[in-house]
Amino acid sequence: MTGAAAALARTPGRLRSLRTSDPVLTIAVVILGLLVAASLAGRLIPGLNDGTTTVGGRFEAPSLAHPLGTDSLGRSLVARLLEGIGTTFLLSALAVLCTAVIATALGIVAAYAGGWVRELVMRIGDVLYAFPAILLALLVAAAIGPGSTAALASIVLVTVPLMTRMVCAAATDVARRDFVTSARISGVAAPVIMVRHLLTCVSGTVVVQGTYALSVAILVEGGLSFLGYGVQLPAASLGLLVSEGNVYLLTAPWILIAAGTTMVLAILAVTLVGDALRDRLEPREAVDLT
Amino acid sequence: MQTLRWVGRRLLMGLVTLLGIALLVFFAARLVPGQAASVLLGPLATQEQRDALTAELGLDRDLFTQFGIWIGKVVTGDFGDSIISGQPVLDEIALRLPVTATLALMALGIALLVGVPLGVLQALRARRRGGAVGSRVISGLGISVPEFVLGALVVLLFSTVPLGITIGAFTAISDDLWLGLVSSLLPALVLSVFCAAATARTTRDAVLGVLVEPWIQAAVGRGERPWAIVRHHVLRNASIPILTLAATLLAYLLGGAVIVEGLFNVPGVGSYMLLAMDRRDYAVIQAAVMLAAVVFVVMSVLVELASNLIDPRVSTMGATT
Repeated sequence: MTGAAAALARTPGRLRSLRTSDPVLTIAVVILGLLVAASLAGRLIPGLNDGTTTVGGRFEAPSLAHPLGTDSLGRSLVARLLEGIGTTFLLSALAVLCTAVIATALGIVAAYAGGWVRELVMRIGDVLYAFPAILLALLVAAAIGPGSTAALASIVLVTVPLMTRMVCAAATDVARRDFVTSARISGVAAPVIMVRHLLTCVSGTVVVQGTYALSVAILVEGGLSFLGYGVQLPAASLGLLVSEGNVYLLTAPWILIAAGTTMVLAILAVTLVGDALRDRLEPREAVDLT
Repeated sequence: MQTLRWVGRRLLMGLVTLLGIALLVFFAARLVPGQAASVLLGPLATQEQRDALTAELGLDRDLFTQFGIWIGKVVTGDFGDSIISGQPVLDEIALRLPVTATLALMALGIALLVGVPLGVLQALRARRRGGAVGSRVISGLGISVPEFVLGALVVLLFSTVPLGITIGAFTAISDDLWLGLVSSLLPALVLSVFCAAATARTTRDAVLGVLVEPWIQAAVGRGERPWAIVRHHVLRNASIPILTLAATLLAYLLGGAVIVEGLFNVPGVGSYMLLAMDRRDYAVIQAAVMLAAVVFVVMSVLVELASNLIDPRVSTMGATT
């Protein structure tokens, strides 16, 4: 105990910067944790997630029995929302995982190989990057048909270009350094260099960009499902619930308010976590003008 | 001479990107399940009729020939006819473009007017505890509110409380300037929230990047006032990322305001695109997506050119890679 306290006294600055003394980050992490826990509870505790059962009349306003009211079929909105959070998070996380794998692999290979390989990867990225996100998503939905698969593919196509570009930029910086050159001269195989040196060095970028990609993913799923080309009924997702809330805007405004607020909270929490991660991984020291 | 060569090179690269976009759009349409001939003729058509139409549409040739024919037409501005109206797609889009452009320019204007000062303020206060937390949450909230949630909430507010603006009644600016501006105001405001927050965040980062430079320290040492430093030394040096973002936002607004236009019943390119999706009018979808991408590519070339003019140090003109 005293040893630990002495150590704290010796290196106060460093430790303070590592501790989560940041209230915004703490709140964001707590919100995110609560949302994930709620959706898990909805899946695991059978009584909680009766999203298929009619529990009351249609469009009952929020009350003690139904804290968020009921929807057009008399189902509890709490249960629908829990299911929706689960679907959206699962779909988005899965998509971002795909994006992270594809973008990291492409970015590192492009950075290490350089030359025409790099040029090719960047140009393909440019092509995808040139589409506004929701138009690209609509194009995918038109091509392979509306549904969760379309939402997943859209998210990947929307998020891959930016992440590839960021990973490639970071990896190019690393690939120019002396230790990579000396590894290459010592005859270390290219795949080993890419994994051991480049991947390790760009992992921070991957984490930060992955967090941002997650917030984009929730947005794209929301937009596509809102327009009716993403997740389909009878399943629930945040975008689908917002869309339902929009249809019954004047009859049952609580649907829109509950689903919309949840979605905003989810995206905001993810964005703030991303900001905090970036500030930690790429710190900047600015001059105070005042 | 060097500038000309650079512009030529950059345009060539833009053309390559456009060709890629055209390929993607073309093959995305070929992925659509079902044969065009069966869709157009319905289930009662005979095999001969289907074959005849397939030959007439040129769908019996191999894909690359089809692509060649299609791209040849696209280059001359012929995107085909809309299945719904039978009119050339390009005419239909040109009819709706002014509405979308008004909306986009209004949204971008509001975003820059709000976002740039907010971002500068955030950067200057980045090291203060309270100020940083507040502005971080505000701009974070701005980019986290999806336009369809905000838009629906605004529609809800204005339909339940009489606030003087009727939702869904759209007046074109060419008919009545004042009413046109008023009816574009709400959708423009909804669109501008995300854009303003994104501008604020980019401005903050760009300004923070400039503030580390030694000449800022020198200006502080000379005793210049903070706002004079911001005006003379910071903003100009921080303007390139802001400009780049503004161009990206404009391209996004011109092509992608699909949801907000639908929500507010604005008869622009976005709601036309939704209608086309609804009726599976692929010629329209292809053209709208293609045009949005063209706008994006053109904007990015222009921005890079402007960046070179603003700050010769970052010039990519002489670069060989």
